[in-house]
Amino acid sequence: MTTLVLGMGNPILSDDGLGLVVARRLRELPMPQDVEVAESEVGGLRLLELVRGFTKVVIIDALRSGGAPGEIKRLDADEFRGGHRYGSAHSIHLGTVLELGRELGLPMPAEVVVYTVEALDVETFGEQLSEPVAAAAGRLVDLIGDELATGVCPASLAAAS
Amino acid sequence: MRKVSVDPITRLEGHGKIEIFVDDDNKVQNVYFQVPELRGFERFCLGRPVEELARITPRICGVCPEAHHMAATKAIDQVFGVEVAPTGRMLRELLYNAFYVTDHTTHFYILAGPDFIMGPESDPAKRNILGVINKVGLEIGGAVIKLRADAAELISMIGGKQIHPVMGLPGGVSQAITAEQRDRMVQITAEQVEFAKFTMGLFNDVVLGNNDYVDLIKSDAFTHETYYMGLVDENNKVNFYDGKVRVVGPDGAELEKFEGKDYLAHLAEHVEPYSYLVYPYLKSVGWKGFVDGKDSGVYRASPLSRLNASDGMATPLAQAEYERFYETLGGKPVHATLATHWARLVELLYAAERAHELATDPDIINPDVRNIPTGIVGEGVGVVEAPRGTLYHHYKTDDKGMVTAVNLIVGTTNNNAAISMSLKKAAEGLLTGGKEIKEGTLNMIEMAFRAYDPCFGCATHTLPGEMPLQITVRNETTHDVVATAQRNM
Repeated sequence: MTTLVLGMGNPILSDDGLGLVVARRLRELPMPQDVEVAESEVGGLRLLELVRGFTKVVIIDALRSGGAPGEIKRLDADEFRGGHRYGSAHSIHLGTVLELGRELGLPMPAEVVVYTVEALDVETFGEQLSEPVAAAAGRLVDLIGDELATGVCPASLAAAS
Repeated sequence: MRKVSVDPITRLEGHGKIEIFVDDDNKVQNVYFQVPELRGFERFCLGRPVEELARITPRICGVCPEAHHMAATKAIDQVFGVEVAPTGRMLRELLYNAFYVTDHTTHFYILAGPDFIMGPESDPAKRNILGVINKVGLEIGGAVIKLRADAAELISMIGGKQIHPVMGLPGGVSQAITAEQRDRMVQITAEQVEFAKFTMGLFNDVVLGNNDYVDLIKSDAFTHETYYMGLVDENNKVNFYDGKVRVVGPDGAELEKFEGKDYLAHLAEHVEPYSYLVYPYLKSVGWKGFVDGKDSGVYRASPLSRLNASDGMATPLAQAEYERFYETLGGKPVHATLATHWARLVELLYAAERAHELATDPDIINPDVRNIPTGIVGEGVGVVEAPRGTLYHHYKTDDKGMVTAVNLIVGTTNNNAAISMSLKKAAEGLLTGGKEIKEGTLNMIEMAFRAYDPCFGCATHTLPGEMPLQITVRNETTHDVVATAQRNM
């Protein structure tokens, strides 16, 4: 039973750095022994190589879906299989990557959850998070720390979903 | 006028939007494409030590960081006025060709393959990589994944890191490779040559063996007569890492050949009021609008363009394939946009052969990989062929090497005008008026776009691998949506 916590994003596109910031902060905290924390600045097919071999993967990324900046969601990987506004069946999105890995007989994680934070700005070059997203980063560190310690969805988010 | 949007353009690197305006009979009036604008890059770079740009610029894009690292490193060589150590140069070129092998393979199997292997009008639920591997065999999917992993291993041996290489320094690279690493690289690159040959065979069977596809490739809806740009070596052979920029006309004759540092004398940028995109064109020909022909300064920079702008390939298997390409398609230059997919595989073969050639060169393990700069010139232009077109990095610094100006022309930008034209022509050819607009038809319009493999900045923007881009068809007067290609969105 091994868990990968994967912060994703671009460190020089403002709020898109969210996942990387959260991963770095988590790495400074005491983690259960079977948890590995990593950062990735690329997505798509390269995800396949990153997640293979782990039992559970927790992905952290900024996104823009029209919600309120700073809003945190916890999504199941199933929601990425052609789900509403998370890519189509044709693009190499998370659901396809996982399915491809399974079809090819690679050891793919049994559980993949994605924590997202609604971004304010992912189009301006800069190394700072916007105020609402920076605040969300702090809350996210606590929420993910909670999930890693208990192995289940944090109660506050479970109620919301 | 009604408006058609394709949303998202799937299987693309990056995101954007295509809007097609049609009249009441569904006849195309106009087509626009738009991508999100990334702001403030120059300001972000100003005042930083110039050598940092080789680590910053690869982060513009999650798809081709290696291309930016290489163009940046070459510009920085010039800023410091330093000659590159021969083995340092070979290691850069080896890494770069290994990157090309990965990029072109991925494009074929994952981004373009579904259209040809599954069929452009097949069930969209199956028109993807999963459909492809179910049709051609799971072992091929496994081979693609293995090739990517091996290339990543090779890249990290030279580049220091798998994804964002950090080895490029003014005058060479940061470290030599060992004989043991070299042996592994020889093995990896030999396997890549075999896989490139296999892929070419698959293309022959599936695409060239199907008359419908050959007719589609040659069809007028997917043809443009433009200028073509590409880097060439001293023998006018295609080179991705270095050389002069050569431009040939729609008739195949050389228009100009110039050093990267002189790019501003040869290229200018047109802007349109409706878009923040810039449309580079050839200064000596001039901007005549979004039109084909010898009098229009519109040019293309793509795998097809590189083949057209060269006199051949510098490796034997790729050269044989180059000759077959022009024999089959009726001589040089080839104007068929969809032939870009074949051209990309000719380049795949070259990249694999060239990487193998470099890996087996005895000098590749020479420990002398870097010349140390001793002065500063304060300006440099680094040019490489990115998979999606000629990439220019232009830096100026003060006398301490701190950045004072940055200008980039990225691969896809070269093709902005041509992409607009290709979309319009494909839409006009395929939306013939009156009829209901089907998903398969919109996918074929997307194919005109996909051939350029356009890449719009950072593909890691939103969620893992998501590449939102939309096609919407709208009525030109009411702006009501007539059709979209949102599929499972």
